[in-house]
Amino acid sequence: MSWQSYVDDHLMLEIEPGRRLVGAAIIGQDGNVWAQSAEFPELKDNEIDNVVKGMVDNGQLAQAGLYLGGLKYMVIQGEAGQVIRGKRQQTGVTIKRTNSALVIGIYKEPTKGPECNVIVERMGDYLIEQGI
Amino acid sequence: MYGGDEVSAIVLDLGSHSCKAGYAGEDAPKAVLPSLVGTMDPMYLPQEPEQPAKMGVDGDNNNAVDPKTGKPVEAAAKKSTRKLYTGVQAMGYRRDHMEVVPALKDGLINDWEVVESIWDHTLRERLMIDPKEHPMLLAEPSFNTPQHREKIVELMFEKYQIPALFLAKNAVLTSFASGRATSLVVDCGGGSTTVAAVHDGYVLQKAIVRSPIGGEFLTDCMLKALEGRGIAIRPRYSFKRKEVRPGEFELTNVDFPNTTESYRRYIQRAIAADVKESVCRVPDGLFEESSYANIPTTPYELPDGQTIEVGADRFKIPDLMFNPALVQTIPGMEKFTTEAGASVKGLPQMVIESINKCDVDIRRELFSSILLAGGTAAMQQMKERLEKDLIEEAPQAARVKVLASGNAIERRFSVWIGGSILASLGSFQQMWLSKSEFEEHGASYVHRKCP
Repeated sequence: MSWQSYVDDHLMLEIEPGRRLVGAAIIGQDGNVWAQSAEFPELKDNEIDNVVKGMVDNGQLAQAGLYLGGLKYMVIQGEAGQVIRGKRQQTGVTIKRTNSALVIGIYKEPTKGPECNVIVERMGDYLIEQGI
Repeated sequence: MYGGDEVSAIVLDLGSHSCKAGYAGEDAPKAVLPSLVGTMDPMYLPQEPEQPAKMGVDGDNNNAVDPKTGKPVEAAAKKSTRKLYTGVQAMGYRRDHMEVVPALKDGLINDWEVVESIWDHTLRERLMIDPKEHPMLLAEPSFNTPQHREKIVELMFEKYQIPALFLAKNAVLTSFASGRATSLVVDCGGGSTTVAAVHDGYVLQKAIVRSPIGGEFLTDCMLKALEGRGIAIRPRYSFKRKEVRPGEFELTNVDFPNTTESYRRYIQRAIAADVKESVCRVPDGLFEESSYANIPTTPYELPDGQTIEVGADRFKIPDLMFNPALVQTIPGMEKFTTEAGASVKGLPQMVIESINKCDVDIRRELFSSILLAGGTAAMQQMKERLEKDLIEEAPQAARVKVLASGNAIERRFSVWIGGSILASLGSFQQMWLSKSEFEEHGASYVHRKCP
């Protein structure tokens, strides 16, 4: 299976008829995009770098803001070493760290944070199990 | 997915001071009881025919008879599980050797056995429901640890067999109760005060500021202040009051030497808390001994008939929230100060600190939506004083607005009310963590479903 189908068929799958995440991607922790959905924002180099650093301690991200594609998200409760979650008005993001990649999902109302969490983190768990 | 149409969810808020529980959709909790239990070491228990199973009495017996009482003696080698007395009635009855144990410590669950006992009592005896039939929305401290959350989830699903669960942070629920998705919540609770920023329905974890000064601390200070003025607060069980002639009462002291210190304090605190709630008012500005030396006093009648006059303490005690250093002037409380190491901040400083820890873009919105919640926030003039102090300390450009429900009940139960609102929303019903999800994925699934 190609990484693109991981994104299209799994991360971007329909939660409910007519409703899915607005963006998803699997990106290597080195910054390489493995696959991303059609409208996924273009990420800057230092943004991925900051996320990787923020996985261990999100203090810096919480202070300065979590930037993805130039948009600022407020850091909300994540899970140290594994998940960073952010919120920005009607949208939000969940980033799950695997061994060498980051699985990223962006949602928008009416989709809720927990729904995005479940989709993104389930994919992340699977990749970790596969040693990726 | 759990459809919540027919069956009401239960909203449960276990705080440091009291446990609030009731049905979602209602405007106040049906059951409010102290977050404390009475405990008794099994060696003091009188022999009862229906020994509870946890005593570990299993058939090998009671042939030995105590020579003094003629009753069978408990075999000494039995497992010593203390007996717990939960609820207002059980705790209101004085028993020899009964200690009072709180469920929470520093805002987090400390004694799980006590918590189970409180939940058992609340659900089965106060609300009289079968937990198997009701989804539960539990309020949790905004700074709750992952381990605590997982333990709560396990306990609820495994012991109580509930069908669905959600854990919501206190600050978020308070924010919902006022109809806001973004606000700075100042929760003046019984055990401590917590200031937390809520942004679009989520707590900003790094901006939580806490202080050990809460309602119970103020009550202790009131108790010490009264004792310092020579006023002894007699617990109700320690005296008998008889009307010897119409209008004239005779007081006799009753001695119960085996009453524990913790129980005596518990009863005294209940009385001191009532004094505090009746007479205290937050002063308009910083409290100074000299300016309040000659203010008229307010009378208060204690249960034993004594009428006391409360003067400057009426204003000094609440000012501790704003100026914790005042604690030094209360005889008996001097040693309080630097237990935590760092100096304790006053309320306005905590608010500023929390807002400064938030992203610059949202600070303006936070300044203009400061919500006051908690029992201690129901004190008179609290809102006005906080607003005044903040306007002075906040940056010039900021528009400061402190909001508080006019109704003291709503301030005290704002977390519970927020839970009641949340659990009744149609759009919330897909958010529950169901029993089958717990069984499939384990307790750690709570972190993704209830972030």
